[in-house]
Parts: sequence; structure tokens; C-alpha cells
Amino acid sequence: MGEGCAEKLAAVFAMARSTVKHPVKNVICVAIAAVVLAGCGTSHKNAVTVYVSEDQVFSEPILKDFEKETGIKVNAVFDTEEAKSTGVMNRLLAEKNNPQADVYWANEPVRADVLRQQGISFEFRPENGREIPDQFKDSQGFWTGFSARARVLLVNQNVKGKPSGVLSYVDPKMNGKGVIANPLFGTTTAEMAALFSVWGDEKGNQFLAGLKRNQVKLSTGNGESADFVASGQFDFALVDSDDAVDRLRHGKAVELVYPDQGEGEIGMLVLPNAVALIRSSPNPDNGKKLIEYLVSKQTERKLALADCAQIPLHPGVTPPKELKPIEQTRTMKVDYATLGAKLQAIQPVLKHWVGY
Amino acid sequence: MLVSSVWVGGGLSARNYVEVFGNPQIWVLFRNSITLAALTTALAGITGIILGVLIIKTDMPVGTLLAAAFSVPLLFPPYILAVGWFEILGRGGMLSRWTNAAIGEMTSGWLFGFPGAVVVLSSAFLPIVLLLTITYLRGVNPTLEEAARLSYGPFAVLRQITIPLIRPGIVLALTLVFLLTMGEYGAPAFLRLNVFPVASFTQSSALYNFDAATAAATPLIGVVLAGLFVEQKALGQRSYSFRWARPQMSQLIPLGHMRVPVVIGAMMLALLFVGVPIAGVLWRGSSAAALSEAIERGASSAVHSVLYATAAATLVTGVGFFLAYLIQRRALIGWRWLDALGLFLFTLPGTIIGIGLISLWNRPSTNWIYATPGLLVFGFMAQYTAIGTRMVAAGMSQLSPSLEEAAEVAGVKWFRRVFGILTPLLRPATVAAWVATFVFCLRDVSLPLLLAPPGQDTLTARTMTLMANGSPELIAALCLLSVTLALGPVTVAGIAWRFARRLA
Repeated sequence: MGEGCAEKLAAVFAMARSTVKHPVKNVICVAIAAVVLAGCGTSHKNAVTVYVSEDQVFSEPILKDFEKETGIKVNAVFDTEEAKSTGVMNRLLAEKNNPQADVYWANEPVRADVLRQQGISFEFRPENGREIPDQFKDSQGFWTGFSARARVLLVNQNVKGKPSGVLSYVDPKMNGKGVIANPLFGTTTAEMAALFSVWGDEKGNQFLAGLKRNQVKLSTGNGESADFVASGQFDFALVDSDDAVDRLRHGKAVELVYPDQGEGEIGMLVLPNAVALIRSSPNPDNGKKLIEYLVSKQTERKLALADCAQIPLHPGVTPPKELKPIEQTRTMKVDYATLGAKLQAIQPVLKHWVGY
Repeated sequence: MLVSSVWVGGGLSARNYVEVFGNPQIWVLFRNSITLAALTTALAGITGIILGVLIIKTDMPVGTLLAAAFSVPLLFPPYILAVGWFEILGRGGMLSRWTNAAIGEMTSGWLFGFPGAVVVLSSAFLPIVLLLTITYLRGVNPTLEEAARLSYGPFAVLRQITIPLIRPGIVLALTLVFLLTMGEYGAPAFLRLNVFPVASFTQSSALYNFDAATAAATPLIGVVLAGLFVEQKALGQRSYSFRWARPQMSQLIPLGHMRVPVVIGAMMLALLFVGVPIAGVLWRGSSAAALSEAIERGASSAVHSVLYATAAATLVTGVGFFLAYLIQRRALIGWRWLDALGLFLFTLPGTIIGIGLISLWNRPSTNWIYATPGLLVFGFMAQYTAIGTRMVAAGMSQLSPSLEEAAEVAGVKWFRRVFGILTPLLRPATVAAWVATFVFCLRDVSLPLLLAPPGQDTLTARTMTLMANGSPELIAALCLLSVTLALGPVTVAGIAWRFARRLA
């Protein structure tokens, strides 16, 4: 408890004691003291508030390190599994006229770009992100990408005739063998937006219809998809690279296939984390410091070594040993800004497809 | 919330409702919620009533101990029981390790569906039925039973006299279990069961569409109102009351040669409903490394939990005291509505209360409350004031109004009558109300998830957010921390209570 809090608490007690008689005094004292104590952190001047859609278990240690190194208190809001990666973004949208956050740490850039389109984020180009390829940054500086996940195919080792790309889902030979996470949430939404963007709406809709025709199982998330493949219930799944690495590290009978790597093929979708400064935020200077920290090589190294096994975007930072460096793969050429608009445009289509 | 949901694009519109009710998925969710609530009520109801009767009306040994064991789940959120069962029946659980993976697959499929959710929620809400059955059985006038015993056997008396007399208590218990199951978020979310509160939370949190969430919540509000109507009808003009005084007991029914099998059966059931899930959490989460990580990640949240629960319990008890006075002394026109409103808010899903508070306070002019823990404390007060009110009212019903009337005749002012006479006499009821509210606030999940300010989450909210890719060991250890946090104050209060009684 800080000195300010102790003073506030003492003042509350003194006031209550001098003005109110027993026993209401006790009730008021206890209630106010608890609220004052609980609220002491909120008025912290040397603080930064960050809304995080990267999993708490991976993002929190990075934020703790930032606290230790800078002395700036980090107040974070994390997403639940059920809210997937959309909860805090939507909270930012709801708080547009009453911003509480300084920084948004998104686990993919599509939703960070939605904030740009809605006028919620603010232009800031971090010095530490200079070496990150332009493909992974907003051209106007509304968000900066770092530490990526790739969308890869996780395939059961016992399967004959392995899938090679996303179209394997609609291959009649693979009928009933594929599983994919609910496209309304998380990175699968981004994947769908990317496919609609690269292929066009007509082929995108055909793909969705093909998924149903081919009896593709819908799972609650990428982790569950990966478990289905690892247990042999399904042959393959499109998952995030960290889900794939996790199953490999646990010795499951699975292998990782980089999708659509052939000549002329679309390549795999790469989804970097993205960080954005919030317009009219309470502590913009501390927000900028946190952004500089997050996009640094040091943070990328930590996230590569952590269980989330993320792929560094800075040249020269070693990736997790199970994954290839980003420059050795064929990546999908997408404009994340277009993807943001596409994501919003196809939301009704996806809702209808899922049955919401 | 309601106004906003029908005010679309600057004019009145039923668009949100048309969209929601035109969506067949909503009716699937509704059917799922009703099915879950009905099955849970049936299982918890039958088990709780039978156990209550066995404990109070028969010579079954260790009844108090069994009642305490069955009541333990009331102290922590139901998702902890779900986590415990997952450690036993999940794909990588204890059973799968001891037998083979195929059995793990089968039991996991069983757990992540209606059977698992019904068992988890039944064990979580069984204490409500059990404790209310015990309370009402203790309140039955023994002379009525003894008179009937002159002509009938003990089981006929039980069936024809005792059970009908405690019917209001049973109806209240079953209504509460039904409505609390309808509103439960944490356990169904963990068990991936698609029910109304989970969908409502997704609408508000993942899609942050408050208007659609409000529209989607209306069937649930309808069910809550219907449940309360049933309860009011069944109770008639009566208001249930706890008897703080030592009850006069009628003669116990001898179980004879069935005594040992019955007590063993009850113990096995306690083991199944309470022991097994807690053992599952202990098995996975009691390693030094897991506990150390849980403390490192959850200690500050545990402190927040205690502080918020303290503030809310204190305010709820204070407000509840005055509301109880208004209701018990019939000091306000429409006191019955006030009582019903409190119970309505208690049974309303936390997500709906949370959404309402955010809609109301999320604006720059009210940021002084929106950006502080005060909003969460408001949420707790809205949800749990009924506990404080009902418990204090129950204590007040044991006091004769003649005490206050005598003081009034002697010229004592209202303030002194209340604080000089009622407050000291109601101390046990007030302390019990405070402890009960504290525990309910401590175990709440959905309100902290929506309303806790940045960086100041509660332990339950933190456990839920860490479930996204958090290791099972960490989640189990956090659950253990939650259990300890709830057991600590209750144990201390229990010891203090016994000590005070002994001194008296």
C-alpha cells in the first residue's frame, strides 16, 4: 500500500469516527476502508493500462518484466477463453468516448486495424520496431507488428495422403477427416478474412459451402482442434503454430505441414502480434514506453523461447527450434488493413454459416 | 438496458429482439438451459431432501459432519468442481492414466456434456436444498408430529405431516436451484456447454453487443420472474425463517438394521459429490511448483477478492439490515415487492447485472465510479442484497416487536431503538449474513470478469482468464487457492461463533 493510500485511509477513519456514532460508524469504516484499499492502484500516476488479447499466461510475464525494468505499474485486462481475442477489442470500441486503456496488445493485427478504422488508435512509430519488415506494420503507424504465429496444418502421423493446403478441407478424399476452430473467434476469423481477401468473395463462399459438404468438424478453438488430431479423432487441422509446437514438444504423434508452399500457391497466413496506442488515453507517454518494450528484439526473443513459441520478425533473432525462420517460408501476401475491413464485411456470412 | 435495446438509430425499434428471437440458435440455448436446470434441480432436490430428512429426522450417526461435508461446495465457485472432475475424467485425467486412453475419451465425452454439467451443478447447489430442508425441519412444531404418531407409523407421519409442513422450504430451495443453474456461467463455460449465460457473456464480452445481449437475456428474465411467482404462490403469506434458538426436536425415527448401510451410502455420496472433485484438484495442483506459481500469479488478485468481498459484504449487511426492518416490520407499502425485487436480482445471471451497470456508468461524467472497484461493489450489492436482507429478516422474525414498542412508550427515539435494542439482539443474524455475503462475493465469477477495473481482477476472474492456455497444474493450484481463501474466513467465523456461545 502506497503512502497516499495510507493517508486516504487515515482520513476516512478520522472523518467517520468524528461524524458518525456507533454502530453505523463501524459499517461505514469497514466498507470505505475496503473500497479505498482496493482502489488504491487505480489512481497510480506512474502507470500504464493495457488491454491484452494475447493469452495471459504468456503476456503477463512480459508485462511483469516491463514493470521491473521501468518501475511503471502495468494495469492489464485479459481476455477469457470464451471471449477469445475479441473481448478486449470490443471493450475498447465500447469505451471510445471514455478511454481507459493506453495500449492495446492484440494477438493478431486484423483487430488492431479495426481500431484504426474506428478512430480509436493513435499514430506512433516505435524506434525499436524499425527493423521489423514493413509488411507487418501499418503504413501510417497506427499499429506495429511483432512476434508472429503462422497458420499451419497439424497432421496426425498415421495418416496416409497428407493434406498440403487449406483446400484439402474441401477435397472429397478428405471427407470427414478435417477439423477447424469456430471461425467467429480468434485467428480462424483472420484466416477466413484472408482467404476471402485473396480469393475473392465467390471462392470464399464456395470454400465455406465446401467445408459443410465435406463434413468438416467445428471445434471450440485451435487447442481443441490440435487435441483432436493428436488423439487421432481427426486427420488434420488448421491451427496456430504455437498449438502445433506444443503438441510436438509433448511428443504427440503429429507433424507440422506448412500449407500452400508450392510455386504459385497462396502461402501460409502469418499473424504477428500487434500493438497500438489508444487515442486520448490517460497515460500516453507510458503507453509509448510499453510499446517500445513490446516490439523490441528482447521481447521477441522471450516470446520465441516461451511455450507460445512465437516467430520473431526482427532479422537475426532465433525462432523456436521446431519452426523455420520466417524468411524461409512462403507467406500469404495480405494487406492487414484490407483484412480488417474484410473481417467486418464477412462477419454476417460467418455468423450465418455457424448458425448464430 | 431495456430502453437502449429498443432504441436503435435514434428511434424505437424491435430490431434487436427480432434478430435475437428469429435466430433458431437462441431457442437451442434456451432448451439447453431449461434442460440443464431441470435435471440439476431434480438431482440436487431429491438428494438434498432425502439427506436433510435423514440428518434431522432419523438416528443416522455423524449427521452434522455429513451436512458440513455436503455444504463445502457452497464456499467456492462451481467451476472448481468442474476442474476437479476434469482432472479425474478428462482425456489426460487420473482415470485415463490408471486404465487406458479409450476410457479417458469416453469419460471426457461424458463430462463435457449434460451428464457432467448436471453432476457438477447438482453437487454445487445441493447444499442449498440440504440446508433449507434442515432449517425447515427444525422449525416444524414437534407436537403435531407427536400427535400423529399416536395413530400412524413414523414414515407415514413423515410423508403426511412433516413433508407437507416444510413444502414452502422445499419449493423455495428448488426454485433457487433452478434459477441459479439457469444463471450459472463458470461451470458450463468450462464444460463447453452451450447455455444462455455463456451466450450472453459472449454477446457482451466477445461481441460487446449490449443491446443484443439484453434482448437475448429477456427469456431468462422471464424464467426468473416465473420462478419467483411460483415461489410466492407456494409460500403464500408466509415468509421462511431460520430459527436461531435451539429447536425442540421430536422423537427420532430409528433406522434399525438399515442404520449402517444408510450412513455408508451417505458417506459415499459425499465422497462422490465433494471428495472426488477436490481430490482431483489436489492431485493436479498441490505440487510445490504449481502452488508457488499460483501464489505468484494470484496473490494480488486474492487480496482484491477479499477486499471487494469485505466492502460488499459490509454494505450488503448494512443495507440488508434496513431493508429487513422495512420488510419484517411491514414499515413500507409494497414491502413484498421490495423482497421480491431483492430475490429477483439474486437469481438474475451476473452477466445481465454486469451489462446493465456498464451501460449505465460507462461515460466520462461517471468515470469516477466506472474506473474504480466501486462498480464491482455495486454489482455485488445488486446481486447479493437479498442474502443480507433475508438472513437479517429471519433473525428479526424471532424478536418480539413488544421490545421496541415498550421503548417507544418510554420515549426512546427510533434511531436508539434500532441501534440500542435491535442491533445487539440481531448480532448473530448480522454476522451470519455478513459471512454468507462475503462467501458469495468471493466465489462470484461473472461480475468480476465484466466489472473489475484494469489490473485489479479477482482470483476467480484471474483463474478464468488464465484458463486460456494455462497449464492444468496452474489452474488446479489456483482453484486450491480459491478454496483456501473461502474456507479460511468461514472456519475462523465458525470457531469464533462456538467460542462466543460457550462464553455465553
